[in-house]
Amino acid sequence: MKTVTTATTATAARKIKKASLSGTLARAAALSIVAALVILPLLATFLGGFKTVGELRTSPFSIPAVWHGDFYARILGDGAFWRFLGNSLVISLASVCLTLFCASMAAYVFAQIRFFGSKYLQSYLLLGMMFPFATAIVPLFLQVRDFGLLDNALGVILPQTAFSMAFAIVLFRSFFRQLPKELFEAAHVDGCGYIGFFFRFTLPLSTPILATVGTFAFVQSWNNYLLPLIILNDRARYTWPLGIMQFRGEFLVEWNMILAFVSLTIAPALIFFVITQKYIVAGLTRGSVKG
Amino acid sequence: MAALEYINIKKCFGPVTVLPDISLTIPHGSFTVFVGPSGCGKSTLLRLTAGLEDVTAGVLKIDGEDVTDKQASARGIAMVFQSYALYPHMTLADNIGFALKMAGLPKAEIRRKVESAAEVLQLTPLLARKPGELSGGQRQRVAIGRAIVREPKVFLFDEPLSNLDAALRTQMRVELAQLHKRLGATMIYVTHDQVEAMTLADRIVVLNKGVIEQTGTPMELYTRPQTLFVAGFIGSPKMNLFSGKVAAAAGAHTFGVRPEHIDVSENGGEWRGEVRFVERLGSDTFLHVEVPEIGLIIVRMDGTSTYSGGSTIGLTPRAGFTHRFNEQGAAI
Repeated sequence: MKTVTTATTATAARKIKKASLSGTLARAAALSIVAALVILPLLATFLGGFKTVGELRTSPFSIPAVWHGDFYARILGDGAFWRFLGNSLVISLASVCLTLFCASMAAYVFAQIRFFGSKYLQSYLLLGMMFPFATAIVPLFLQVRDFGLLDNALGVILPQTAFSMAFAIVLFRSFFRQLPKELFEAAHVDGCGYIGFFFRFTLPLSTPILATVGTFAFVQSWNNYLLPLIILNDRARYTWPLGIMQFRGEFLVEWNMILAFVSLTIAPALIFFVITQKYIVAGLTRGSVKG
Repeated sequence: MAALEYINIKKCFGPVTVLPDISLTIPHGSFTVFVGPSGCGKSTLLRLTAGLEDVTAGVLKIDGEDVTDKQASARGIAMVFQSYALYPHMTLADNIGFALKMAGLPKAEIRRKVESAAEVLQLTPLLARKPGELSGGQRQRVAIGRAIVREPKVFLFDEPLSNLDAALRTQMRVELAQLHKRLGATMIYVTHDQVEAMTLADRIVVLNKGVIEQTGTPMELYTRPQTLFVAGFIGSPKMNLFSGKVAAAAGAHTFGVRPEHIDVSENGGEWRGEVRFVERLGSDTFLHVEVPEIGLIIVRMDGTSTYSGGSTIGLTPRAGFTHRFNEQGAAI
């Protein structure tokens, strides 16, 4: 009798193991498909930079038959590439800094201070989120031209900041609201005012949301094509998405060069993400209030 | 001179009046406890004192100086919060020294003061840590340290022990009492726990629905409650309160006697009833006795009592230990 029981238990255990194994496999398969959807285009782009235009036509996804490193070398050796990258970097970093600075201050006011018209203003900002960038492009162009900022990095930075503000403020405000109220009260009793609290408490305790919003704003600005296209006419001020155009000939588009170019321009955005990633961790206020 | 004077303080939140009219003086060096059920306005009164809320009407004086419209940091008070409210991104030393830094004291002096406060609270080895790495009791001590270091005129405590477990609470209670003795400072302490109120206070202020029911020493409140509310609130288990015939016989609307002031006898007794339920705590035994026409009476006996459920016993309230209240609930 005893042996029978043991045997049944063993079968049951095996069944459970089998079920969990098939579950794991299904999970792994699903995750692999999702990962492939992201990685394969990136990989094709990266490998495409090593192929000739002819090979790219015939077998776009294969491993290159001959590894032509000279396309990458030509781009890296070209001063224009570094200039595009530099321009993009200046514009993106300035947009990120300006967005974080202005949006966090505005959100702090909304989160901390109750004043007449606060709700109205917040709804107004939310409305801004529904406004597609492309529809505003003509008035935006006219406005930037009137300010005399055409062919100027500021002509790109300021509108970009303005358009990312709404989203950033909404994210910041909900995060700032979660900071325990007692923290402000304790600081208030200790002699710290609103502005001091913002710099000494709100900002240091909000690194996760600062990193998140920063990454969003950076990627958005880094990949922006439309705005630089209408604002910047001087080749020396081009950002990288505009710079790609130089590989478009009259009869032939040099796709291999474009792919190599794109592969190289993804790198800074990736580096920015890796830097901010470690700050995107929750639970920083642990130990302040209760357990 | 009084450390604190509340003169006709009124506080409304929108249409809701939380404190209709509070007048109270708190003497220098006293340990005053505001006690009452939740929602009675005790925390609001403390927050008004701290300057975290504005008073609707009335005057608040600290050390004779009108501070009604002064900023919290300019009032010379320090507050310990229920949730500690430590600064999570700062070390303990920075937490304790923050107020001094805000006041613009030189670094060396801040360090000296922080170190001496840490020594008093046995936090010296932990000064470089952050609040997240501490236990509940240690965090509470840091919160107290943050108050001590400012050398305030008045300490304010808002239910500081309610997040701690029972054993730690007892220990911190003793530490707080010792701290008060050593510093000799004026302390105001808010709690809904009457054990904390009785053990810590040299003066208790009982609040109910925004009104001060009674002010006095713990024993005054226990032996001579001036209102029905205080009689029911102070003491555990609650005072037995009866209305009806028994009260009328004593010439009152409500008649009260504490469980520990009832003598039990096998035979005779003023009232006779059946023991319904026995609670044994070891040191004490509580008998729940059903007396016809009066109702349930709780009697405290010592732990060796052998009465059991079902037996009929006689109860006699001890002379001189009974309380009588009129229809408005005031003591006669």
